[in-house]
Parts: sequence; C-alpha cells; structure tokens
Amino acid sequence: MIQAPAWLQIFSRSTAALLGGYAFSYAASACLARLLPLSSADAVIVATLPAFIFYTGAILWAFASRDAVRAWAPLVLAAPLALIGFWPQALRWLA
Amino acid sequence: MKNTFTQSMAWLHTWAGLIFGWLLFAIFVTGTLAVFDKELDHWMQPEIPATEVSQADAAQRAVAYLQAHEPKASNWGISLPTERSPGLRVSTGERRHGGGVQLDPRTGEAIEVRDSVGGNFFFRFHFTLDLPRNWGIFVVGALALVMLAALVTGIVIHKKIFKEFFTFRPNKGQRSWLDFHNASAVLLLPFHLMITYTGLVIFMLIYIPAGVDALFEGDSRAYFQAQGNARQEQPRQLARQPGELVDVAPLLAQAEARLGPIGGLNIRNPNTAGARIEIRPELGNRIALAKGQAMVFDGISGQLLSDVPEWRAAPLTQRVMVGLHFAQFGGYPMRWLYFICGVVSCVMIASGLVLFCVKRGRKYASATAQPSARRWYRVAEVCNVGFVSGLLLACVALLWASRLLPVELVQRESWEVRAFFGTWLLALLHAGVRPARRAWVEQLLLVALLCISLAALGGMADAMRVGVVACAMVLGVLLGLVAWRVRQAASAPQKTRAGRSVEAGA
Repeated sequence: MIQAPAWLQIFSRSTAALLGGYAFSYAASACLARLLPLSSADAVIVATLPAFIFYTGAILWAFASRDAVRAWAPLVLAAPLALIGFWPQALRWLA
Repeated sequence: MKNTFTQSMAWLHTWAGLIFGWLLFAIFVTGTLAVFDKELDHWMQPEIPATEVSQADAAQRAVAYLQAHEPKASNWGISLPTERSPGLRVSTGERRHGGGVQLDPRTGEAIEVRDSVGGNFFFRFHFTLDLPRNWGIFVVGALALVMLAALVTGIVIHKKIFKEFFTFRPNKGQRSWLDFHNASAVLLLPFHLMITYTGLVIFMLIYIPAGVDALFEGDSRAYFQAQGNARQEQPRQLARQPGELVDVAPLLAQAEARLGPIGGLNIRNPNTAGARIEIRPELGNRIALAKGQAMVFDGISGQLLSDVPEWRAAPLTQRVMVGLHFAQFGGYPMRWLYFICGVVSCVMIASGLVLFCVKRGRKYASATAQPSARRWYRVAEVCNVGFVSGLLLACVALLWASRLLPVELVQRESWEVRAFFGTWLLALLHAGVRPARRAWVEQLLLVALLCISLAALGGMADAMRVGVVACAMVLGVLLGLVAWRVRQAASAPQKTRAGRSVEAGA
C-alpha cells in the first residue's frame, strides 16, 4: 500500500469527516423521515433530531478507520440512503 | 489514523480540542454570561429604574403613551416589566429587537436611556461569534459538532472513567492538570453532552434540512404550515374602519391566569375595528421554550380569538430540548445552576488547553527542540493566553466600556463592541510579546482587578445591579487567586502548580 504523507492523510480524513459526515447525516435523516410511520411534520422533526449523532459517528469513523480510503465509507453509504429518502423525486426525475 | 482505536481517538481529541478549543472557550464563556443577560442589560443601562409597578398599570400607561405619540402605527409592541427586566419598552412596526422607547413604568413618560449592546451582546456572540447571523450560526454549529466529537472521544480514551471521577492528585504538575480536566469533564458529563446537543437542536433544520427537502420539496413555508404555525389572518377590511380599543388590563389578567407570568403584548391595527391584541407569556413559564406563542384577543370586544396551541409529541420534544438550552425555566435557582455548570464547562476547556502546553512544554520549549516545533509550540502558548485570559479581559472590558463611554456618543453600541474586540486583540498581542507565564499572570491579574473594581462605577440602585457587581467581585477574587498561584508556581518552578486548578474550578 502507498503511504501518503501525514499532512495529506490528515487532510483527507478531515475532509471525509466534514463532507462525508454531512452527506451521511443529511441522507440518513432524509431516509428516516421518509420511512417513519408518522405525519410528515412529525417525521421531519423525529428524523432530524438524531442527525447530529449520525454526524458525530461519521467523524469518529473517519479518524478511526484503518486506512484512509475506508474513512470515506459514510459518503458512499450516503448514496443509497439518499435514494430512499428522495425516492419520489428520483422517480419523477427518471420519468 | 494510529495503531489502535483508543490511540486514534486520543489523537483526534488532542488536536481537535486544541484547534477548536480556543473558540469553543469563547462560546462557552459568553454562553455562561448570557444566562444572566437581562441582569447585565439592567446593569449596563443605569437609567432604567427598578420599580414595583403592576403589569396592568404599566400596560395602561404604555397604551396611553402610544395613543398620544403613535396613534396611526400599524403595530404597537409593549415589553412589560418583569422580575428580571424591570423596564417598560414600547415600539412600533415589526422590529423585534432593539429600537423603541423606554418609559418610566410609574409615570408613563419617556426616559432617556443610553444605547448599550447590553448582556444581549454575549447572547448574540454565543451563537454567531458576532459574524453575520447566517454565517455565524453555521460556524458555531460546526464548533458544537466538534465539541460533541471531543466529548465522545474523551469518553472513549478514559477507560477508568468511574475511578477517575474520584481521582485528584494536587501539586503534581501535569498529572494534576490531567486529573482536573478529567474530573471537571466527568463530573458534569451529562451537562456537557446536554448543552452541546441541545445547542445543535435549536437550528437543526437550518443545519440539516434533509427532512424538509425530502418530504416538503424544500418548501419551508409548507413545513411550517404543516406544523400549524400559520400566521393569523389579518382582517384587512376591518382594519380600515376606526374603532375604540378595549381596556387591556382584564385581558392581561385572563392571559396570566392561563399562561403564567406575562412578558409583553402586541397590538396590531390599533384604533381600528380590526384591532388584535396578542399577549405572550414569559419564555420560562415551562421547560419547553414558549417562543412565538401568544393568546390573541379581539381588540374591540376583548373576545378570545385563539388560545395557545397544545404541542404534539414531536414538536414538544424539540421545544423541550431547546428550552433546556435556553435555561429560561425554573427561576433564579435554575439560572445559578446553569451558570455554575457553565463555569465548570469553561474551566474544563481551559484546563484541556493548558494541559496541551504543560504536557509538551519540557519537550518543545527546550533549546534542543527543532526550531519549527518550538515556533508552533509558541503559537499554541500565545493563543492559549490570548483566547483564555484575553477573552475574559474582553468581556470585562465591555462592561467597563458600557459605563465609561460618553452617553451622547454616536453609534455608541458599535463602540462598545469595538472595545470588546480591541481589548481581545491587545491581549493577543500582549501574549505574543511577553513570556507565557508572565502573560498569564498579568492578564489574569488585570481581569481580577477590573472585575473587583466594577463596584467603583456605581449605579447600584437595586438588588439586581448589586447582584451583578457582587458576582463580578467573587469571580474577580477567584481569578486573582488563580493569578497568584500561577505566579507562585513561576517563582518556584520545581514546586508544581496544581493547586490553582482547584481554585479555577470555583
């Protein structure tokens, strides 16, 4: 495996924490809001309250994961979550 | 990042804690001061009398004043005297903050009050860092998130969390700083977590609007309508016909019986047939923050048009979390509890920052260390002084400026803010040119002196103002003790400097 210089590793992981973490918590909230069996107004609140816990988890993940590539896993995970959250919008876009 | 999970987390805790700790300290200090924002307001505007006028009388005088001076305004706002805010303020138009005229609640005459940012400055700085509002809340939100991450990593790296709760080894240098940082963190861990998380909840839909984007196509107005927060229809037709306002006193009594203590009222379309009287409770009548709630009465017949709504479980949960952060409930005992917890949080952050330098001092400050490492160590040292004692200096400088600046100064409020940031900048420069330990002692001593001598500025006409000065004196004495301990430790380097951490905790 190629060993990147330390500053690049830190930069990559910090960006993964900030941007990947945001994308992940945004997508997870959207997904949760879509899936919760509540009225829309309530679902928005209940799904957004844990968003910061998701974000914190993603930050820790970005710095705890073994290699710098896996640090970006939350960003990858965000895609399917966002697809569930924005399912009707995605269908409309395809049609 | 590092070999083991714990090592990675320790690395993150150390570096994120250092880099973001400086601003987090500023946020926590101003947040702690903002617990007593109204009291500081009152102290910073000594012209406002402390009176014991009933709200009904004050409201009638305010209406009489507005009737005489602003009979054609589209909206009258009246802030009634309350326990914490004895002034009577009237305003017109839609301005919610600032502006308006202060009245003497006893006579209903306008009184000249100096312009002052008041304790509200600390409140605003606490959630915007005095940046433009929308930028500020994002920056502070990001910092709060780092705080949350630092708390969780802190828990991870302390496996013996229960044992460390009971561990304090004073006068052992670095060990004592670590013990103190741990003890203050663990002792109030629920508070630290609660205050950081609920702080994020306040603006959660601004930070992460995912739910609104997904379910309401990003239309926040549709979302607020679904929450039942739709604006009251204004009776446009009736608002053109003249009408005579009903007496507000019985309505106030009715609202108080329903809502508890009243904060103020708005009269929309006064002197028309479409007049509406909105009476709002004080924020702290219950834990859930009552912001934006009001009972609406017909301004002509005095009939109740709409009551405060009952919240459903989900919005209530959010409101309670926000209320837990705003700390408006529970009266003065709760306020003091929040203040003391806030002080412990500040001390935890400060001790963590100091620990960073104490731990590395021997390694990097010595002549054998690499020049670049020494330079970076020096930067950390200077920032520690400038952002910890320098910020305290800036806060007390704001209080002094509010009293010393000439009353007739144009744009007086912005000069107060300049005094705050100017002092902070000077403190950073001072830290840059003085040896670190001397800089600590000098700045802490100056803060202590300025706090204690606040009494010399006078204006202690009532219990609330005396309370502000007395609290500043106690804090000043404690900071003086800290300065003294740092000085002692400086003159006897082999004698360790743990004791001051104990006093800093008070």
